[in-house]
Amino acid sequence: MSVLLEVSGVSVTFDGFRAINNLSFHIGEAELRAVIGPNGAGKTTFMDIVTGKTKPDEGRVIWGKKSVSLLKMNEAKIAQAGIGRKFQKPTVFEDQTVQENLLMALKKPRGWLAVLAYRANVADLEKAANLAEEIGLKEELARKSGELSHGQKQWLEIGMLLAQEPRLLLVDEPAAGMTPQEREHTTDLLLHAAKTRAVVVVEHDMEFVRRLNCKVTVLHEGSVLAEGSLDHVTSNQEVIDVYLGR
Amino acid sequence: MQRSFISRNPSVLIFLTCLALFTVTVTVMSEGSGVGIISTSFIKTLGKTLCLCLIAVAMDLIWGFTGILSLGHFAFFGLGGYMIGMWLMYERTRLIVVESLSQVEIPPTATEVTDAIGNQIFGVVGSSDFPLIWTFADSLFLQLVLVVLVPGLLALVFGWLAFRSRVTGVYLSILTQAMTLALALYLFQNDSGLRGNNGLSGLQNLPGVEASQDVVSLWFLWASALALGLGYLLAAWIVSGKFGSVIRGIRDNEARVRFLGYSVETYKLMVFTLTACIAGIAGALYYPQAGIINPAEISPIASIYLAVWVAIGGRGRLYGAVIGAASVSLLSTWFTGGQAPNIPLGFYTIKWVDWWLVLLGMSFVAVTLFAPKGMGGLVDLWSKRRTPNRHGADLGPSDGALREQEASQ
Repeated sequence: MSVLLEVSGVSVTFDGFRAINNLSFHIGEAELRAVIGPNGAGKTTFMDIVTGKTKPDEGRVIWGKKSVSLLKMNEAKIAQAGIGRKFQKPTVFEDQTVQENLLMALKKPRGWLAVLAYRANVADLEKAANLAEEIGLKEELARKSGELSHGQKQWLEIGMLLAQEPRLLLVDEPAAGMTPQEREHTTDLLLHAAKTRAVVVVEHDMEFVRRLNCKVTVLHEGSVLAEGSLDHVTSNQEVIDVYLGR
Repeated sequence: MQRSFISRNPSVLIFLTCLALFTVTVTVMSEGSGVGIISTSFIKTLGKTLCLCLIAVAMDLIWGFTGILSLGHFAFFGLGGYMIGMWLMYERTRLIVVESLSQVEIPPTATEVTDAIGNQIFGVVGSSDFPLIWTFADSLFLQLVLVVLVPGLLALVFGWLAFRSRVTGVYLSILTQAMTLALALYLFQNDSGLRGNNGLSGLQNLPGVEASQDVVSLWFLWASALALGLGYLLAAWIVSGKFGSVIRGIRDNEARVRFLGYSVETYKLMVFTLTACIAGIAGALYYPQAGIINPAEISPIASIYLAVWVAIGGRGRLYGAVIGAASVSLLSTWFTGGQAPNIPLGFYTIKWVDWWLVLLGMSFVAVTLFAPKGMGGLVDLWSKRRTPNRHGADLGPSDGALREQEASQ
């Protein structure tokens, strides 16, 4: 399997605190990966580095077949290259309808002139409607997304990610604050998405990770502590020490 | 499938109809048409108000929709006024000079004419040479181009520097404020080339036009109304499409828009520049009606007023900005013009000329606290378009679950 994203030897320091310490990580095309770790393990900082929000002090972040370095690109360029990110808190544009949210995310030219001239055509509206159906918001297309429930907002954000047609999805705690049924739906969405692209899920909840049934990377103090199946890493003594306390 | 632009935005049609009705009514009642119910000076006030409405639309685009509180748009407004003022003053002075020199026996050379014009214009600041910036002052066409180009370029350079460094929020507001203050202070200098604190005057007299001010004031009223109509249409078109979605997204969550792959800085820069151009055009129509422009016009307080108008009128909806600018600036004229009756309290008399600013300040605070939607929010009340108040905890897990508050009703 060819490597889609390769992070090697990355370190970043905030005011003397080493948030990421010589971290190396790689993920292939169409792979689902869960990243777990205690608070402060550097999970969110890792995502910040990949999406260009934080510049690391050292290390390399290589993307795609052409092996471009992501470190020289800004957030918008990285997103255009095919990396989508979902935040921990659902962040949708609450003042706009579900349809407007989805249309904005659809993979289309992002330049200001192209966007200014853009008028939604039938094909795009259909695409948005199909996405809405997939995330279970077909009835809510015309509603302002601010009126949606917490879980629906999470789905809308996942839907916006899918609309971007990214090759790598970074998902931060997608199941936070969801009911069991909503979690199940979210799991299905992620599993389905992972069939055609790489998905990295950061999650606290072991039950949710178990249901994803994929390779797990455990982060601790900014570097990889263990990697493998969930059963493999949970039987690792170091992981048990870190997670359950000594 | 897709409905037309107008049917999706009925407020645009309503607005344009109101504007047309207003213009026709005022024209019929003006002195220029012979009826004379409305005095020429009030026609000018109305025409100027339309220009202020236009810059308010620009302000709403940049602040209400993109979320950038610019406190410097009157700098662009003033620059537009200066650009048209230069031609008006040059051409009128030239006609006078040519007229007076035609009496002498030896016909004057071109240099003599230019020197005489320079003397006339710059004598007041102790100079007679044309500064470099007056190079194109003899061409109406070029000065009209500069009306758009100069504010646009200034906004482009300033915005590029500011947005590229990711300056946002109150810091950006302070920067824009500093820009307009610096420009005003520069123009106050006699050697700035724009006649220092004297400014440019006599702009109400159109060179080569025989018609009286009664008629000219109507021309400007029509031009202002046309500019406002077109500007409103352009702004409404911009915010109705995906571009509007993106800039409203930038207002609400800049980082999220960035992660969607949109270059936030470019979008901000484009809106900033476009609104500066609109402001320039508004200024170019305003100052010939005012008759005079001086650096005090672009002092920071003017731009703050602009923000107050838009806030009172209602941010994030174009007609709100227009309503705010029109009503507050007309009220301001009424109060500060000494027309409002004083209120004797026995021990103290409230003179509105002094107290108007206090009243304006208090209404600004009141609007911010109690009616964040401004006067435009009244339209929602009238059309019963209430946003559901769904604050409170979910009562159940499912999609349509009642909220705490709804259940208790």
